[in-house]
Amino acid sequence: MIVAERKPIEEIMGFAKNCKKILMVGCNECVTVCYAGGRKEVAILASALKMAFKKDGKGLEVTEVTLERQCDHEYLEEIRNIVDEHDAIVSLACGVGVQFMAEKYLTTPVFPGVNTRFMGVTEESGVWSERCQGCGECILGQTAGICPISRCAKRLLNGPCGGSTNGKCEINKDLDCAWQLIIDRLKALDRLDDYEEIIPIKDWSTERAGGPRKVVREDLKQ
Amino acid sequence: MRLSYPDSIRIIRLPCTGKIDVIHIMEAFEKGADGVYVAGCLEGECHFIKGNLRARKRVEYTKKLLDDIGVGGERLEMYNIAASDGPRFAAVAREMHGKITALGPSPIKKSL
Amino acid sequence: MLGILFTSYEKMADEVEKGKIGSVMVVGGGIGGMQAALDLADSGFYVYLIEKSSSIGGRMSQLDKTFPTNDCSMCIMSPKLVECGKHLNIEILTLSDIENVTGEAGNFHVRLIQHPRYIDVDKCIACGTCAEKCPRKVPDEYNAGLINRKAAYIRYPQAVPLKYLIDAEHCIYFEKGRCKACEKFCPANAVDFEQKERKIQIDVGAIILAPGFQPYNPALNDTYQYGRYPNIVTSLEFERILSASGPYQGHLVRPSDGKEPKKIAWIQCVGSRNIHAGDKGYCSGVCCTYAIKEAMVAKEHSAIPLDAAIFYIDIRTYGKDFERFFNRAKDEMGVRFIKSRINTILPGEEEGDLTIRYVNAAGGIVKEAFDTVVLSVGIDIAPESIELAKNLGIELNHYNFAKTDSFDPVRTTRSGVYVCGVFQGPKDIPETVMQASAAAAEASSLLSTERNKLAKEKIYPEEIDVTGQEPRIGVFVCHCGTNIGGVVDVPMVTKYASTLPHVVVAQENLFTCSQDTQVKIKENIREHRLNRVVVASCSTRTHEPLFQDTIREAGLNPYLFSMANIRDQDSWVHQSDHKGATEKAKDLVKMAVANAAQLSPLYKTKLPATKRVLILGGGIAGMTAALNVAGHGFEVVLVEIEKELGGFARNLHRTLQGDDVQSYVAELIEKVTQNDKIQALTETILADFSGGKGNFKTALAVGPAMYHREVNHGALIIATGATEYTTHEYLYGEHSSVKTQVELEGILAKGENPIRDWKSLVMIQCVGSRNDANPNCSRVCCQQAIKNAIATKEVNPDINIFVLHKDIRTYGFSEDYYRRAREMGIQFLRFKTGGEPQVERAGEGIRVSFTDFTLGREMTINPDQVILSTGVVAGDTEELASILKVPLTSDRFFLEAHVKLRPVDTQSDGIFVCGMAHSPKRIDESVSQALAASTRACRLLSQDYIEVGGVVAKVDPELCTGCLICVRACPYEVPFINEDGVSEIDISKCQGCGVCAAECPAKAITLGHFEDTQILAEIDALLEAR
Repeated sequence: MIVAERKPIEEIMGFAKNCKKILMVGCNECVTVCYAGGRKEVAILASALKMAFKKDGKGLEVTEVTLERQCDHEYLEEIRNIVDEHDAIVSLACGVGVQFMAEKYLTTPVFPGVNTRFMGVTEESGVWSERCQGCGECILGQTAGICPISRCAKRLLNGPCGGSTNGKCEINKDLDCAWQLIIDRLKALDRLDDYEEIIPIKDWSTERAGGPRKVVREDLKQ
Repeated sequence: MRLSYPDSIRIIRLPCTGKIDVIHIMEAFEKGADGVYVAGCLEGECHFIKGNLRARKRVEYTKKLLDDIGVGGERLEMYNIAASDGPRFAAVAREMHGKITALGPSPIKKSL
Repeated sequence: MLGILFTSYEKMADEVEKGKIGSVMVVGGGIGGMQAALDLADSGFYVYLIEKSSSIGGRMSQLDKTFPTNDCSMCIMSPKLVECGKHLNIEILTLSDIENVTGEAGNFHVRLIQHPRYIDVDKCIACGTCAEKCPRKVPDEYNAGLINRKAAYIRYPQAVPLKYLIDAEHCIYFEKGRCKACEKFCPANAVDFEQKERKIQIDVGAIILAPGFQPYNPALNDTYQYGRYPNIVTSLEFERILSASGPYQGHLVRPSDGKEPKKIAWIQCVGSRNIHAGDKGYCSGVCCTYAIKEAMVAKEHSAIPLDAAIFYIDIRTYGKDFERFFNRAKDEMGVRFIKSRINTILPGEEEGDLTIRYVNAAGGIVKEAFDTVVLSVGIDIAPESIELAKNLGIELNHYNFAKTDSFDPVRTTRSGVYVCGVFQGPKDIPETVMQASAAAAEASSLLSTERNKLAKEKIYPEEIDVTGQEPRIGVFVCHCGTNIGGVVDVPMVTKYASTLPHVVVAQENLFTCSQDTQVKIKENIREHRLNRVVVASCSTRTHEPLFQDTIREAGLNPYLFSMANIRDQDSWVHQSDHKGATEKAKDLVKMAVANAAQLSPLYKTKLPATKRVLILGGGIAGMTAALNVAGHGFEVVLVEIEKELGGFARNLHRTLQGDDVQSYVAELIEKVTQNDKIQALTETILADFSGGKGNFKTALAVGPAMYHREVNHGALIIATGATEYTTHEYLYGEHSSVKTQVELEGILAKGENPIRDWKSLVMIQCVGSRNDANPNCSRVCCQQAIKNAIATKEVNPDINIFVLHKDIRTYGFSEDYYRRAREMGIQFLRFKTGGEPQVERAGEGIRVSFTDFTLGREMTINPDQVILSTGVVAGDTEELASILKVPLTSDRFFLEAHVKLRPVDTQSDGIFVCGMAHSPKRIDESVSQALAASTRACRLLSQDYIEVGGVVAKVDPELCTGCLICVRACPYEVPFINEDGVSEIDISKCQGCGVCAAECPAKAITLGHFEDTQILAEIDALLEAR
């Protein structure tokens, strides 16, 4: 899922500072699961904002809506009738949802309520960590299911660097060296031969380096 | 035990403090409460195993949030009081009342 | 009409005589009596709960905390008090004694005497005015005499029934013929000085005795100087000192001068383990652990660093997880443990202080000053209990406890009369609770044909459908005599209530809980078509069920009710501020009205229950449970993993008392295999498990061929036992002269007797127990060692036997055998920590060396045999626990739902545990627990339907994103993600805590009766326009 976390209240207050009435839109997908932008977080943030305004002697009205997803036209359409009543929209979706909202509603400013962090997993209740950077060319098949692009600080493709000490990364003692993990796992799978195979220079054009990306399925296009 | 405590306190009943929602606490402050405290069972004695531990974490989270918006996290507290411990219940009520009195009215209420 | 009856006259007489009665009398309203009463009343029997004092609750109500969890005693007990008090099928008769009992099992005629209370219980509203106005002060027994109560009084604030009484022995009116202050001031006209003793005759099918104990009176023995120096207190007095509801409101001070103590000593075995005049020869079994508890709690209470010293003979922390508790006190909290029997307490140099002379570890005599001394008094049987036994015609043992058999721990010598709790032998609370359920099992099995014949069931009118209706709220504000009305301006509050939104009618009542007000509330519901009711009065804890029942009688769903507590939370705590209290009352009423307007009806779903119990484990516990369940008329599937039934007891031959275990096991197996309600499946394992209470489904792999079989059952009992610790230490398995106790028992049983040739024998205790790897005490090994030592000595009187130990833990009556063993010349040598026994080869033979505790010197013995007391460890429970979703302790024994009060229930409803699967225990203890598990299972199945729902969590699948947060948050592992990818909560398992609702990030979960709209309405109502 996409993992996000709420922006500092102060920043959101800054977005809303000249508003009288804002529309706060949550998303019932990833950001709900990572406790950043679901129905509950919308309610908490709305209450916090209203209070912060009240404290300064200003009034703020907040309309709370949580959509099924903010990355699909149809769901975003659900708020069309009420958007114009508001001075601004605060979207608690990931960056994708915020942008799509802004693309759709051109006359109302759209502000992000969360910082979108990464694509990751729930390690345990309340702990999320990164697993994928969407490089567009998956090599997990060669690396025992552990991604050196997202989990090695240097994105090395053929083994650890000299900074790998006792299985930990040199940038942070709490961070596992991804290549140590890969080697240990390959060993356990009795597939160390895979490690011997050189992974060729990566074609980064499928990643961000090649500019914004697009996926098209002709058979599905209407 | 009929031990007196300040009459500024109103009690809202929950089946377990584990049911307390950040939203409930926020609502109380938004509507002008000067202080809120959550009174749960002693740690390790929750009838529902861990409700009071969850409540404490939520209270801690909400305190930070209240600090962020300038209401002041010190207006919110979590206490653990044994159900039979009337004296402590009254003592906590006095403590909280004293603390909130010292802090003065909530900045939200002032501007209401 | 003419009927023809072909029968002999004798047979007819026989049938009439044998007509059983579906009610049970429970004598004693302590925790044991309450448990037995509740188990039976919930299983379809009518129960008379007889209590000699003015209220139920017993000794447990006086305790501050309970070991080993240090839970607050009253907190955990009061729900049971309330449940007994309001149960439709429990009739509590207080101030009552049994005069005599005639008849026989199934049909007893009991004559009782009920002493007058001088207060009409139907009128008393427990306002406390009588006690307030009563001029006579009397030492308060509940507070162990440390403070005074009045002659008009209530035993303790949570007492059930919550009715005052007048103590005629001390009342001025009864002494001098004048006063009657209570009568004059009682607002309810409840005082009645004309009440007379009543004689009552009740017929019941069975009787359960649970009269409890009295603390040993140390004044009988001048050694302890009790009564001479005020700072020598009994442990019960100390409980009251520690208690928040006690004489000093929980401040730890000593009685003489209110000084906070700096040094407290506990003296163990006061009145126990002693055969001097007035003392008791048995071990009271609970004092070591309670002293540790008191020392820990005192240290926690004390503002200054408190020195706590416990003087003991042996520390007997033999219960489940008690050894850990002891270790924590010793190692983490710094409680000092001094092995020395105290013979003298002298006054100290400072005023009020005391001096104790003792022998220290170095063998020197030391004098140490303490400012308070606590006497850890033992358990004693009250003369009233001896009288009770006489009136009932049951036999007592040599210590005046009810006589029972090794294998039938709850049957007295009179058929149909059962016993539980301390009257059967010294024991702690969980064992009392287990035995209470066990006694209930025996009684309900005896009367199983009479189930639901005398038990009452309440029929309510059909419910009015209120869906779509605008709220129409009725508000009833209570004066509670002068309790509320004397402080709060009730007419003003009532007038205010009538102005609130949706309020159709608001009335004030003198006593809203009175019978006539219930009628009035119902009339109002009909007349004004009310669909919500608010009562502003006292505590929901005590009165909500009453009012809910009232509105139900008028056709309203009981959840359409809200209560404002303007007494306990208002008039009582703001007595001097009438205006403030009135304003607060208005707020509280406004909040309750706002809440009520948002309430919606909640329904319970009735699920049919499968009347079959699956029992895992075919040892003594499993077989005992199976036979009892079958005796209730339910089917049993008994699953045993081994080829034969019998379990670990197949290795045992005699009990400590000398009873034959093998023939007992054989008899059990015979009964189980002959019983047509029991299907015993051997060599069978559990493969899969699903469902909820009342309707479980289990897949079994049966027999050597492992054929698949599914069993539907309503309850499950885990009786999978434990295993003997297998040691590789002490040359075991390497030297033929090193054996285990079980092996020695086998040799003794065979009678081959190489024993006659042995000259000396060393037993080593705590092999595999009470060490770092396994910190627990295995409980049975000391008794087993003494049993085998005595048997060996009987065969070969010339043999020298040395028992090397840490402490000898012969709790209860088994202390007699420890004494006997010493008298026979068996030597008990305590070794020092760090000087544990070492076993080495010495040529052909063996040499045992250890450091003696008393002498502090290394000792060496060259015995013929070394016998290892290997402890008990849990079996391979992890897999089973994970399939059943039942938690384990850190030592892999099954964890009970509550250590004290739910000792055979697990956290999963419908799953129960007994025997060694719960913790190490003796056969009689396993039998008790097995019967208890059976009672709990049968209680569930005795109803035709299982009611689930009410205040439970519900998921809105439209809003749920399947995030798993509820799945992880639920303490009972109830929510799961269903086929549609959304969370689902099984209402039959939900406990209604609301943790999931509070954590759901999509706000998809609501908890019935505590919905966000309802809570927010209360908050908004309170704060709006402020």
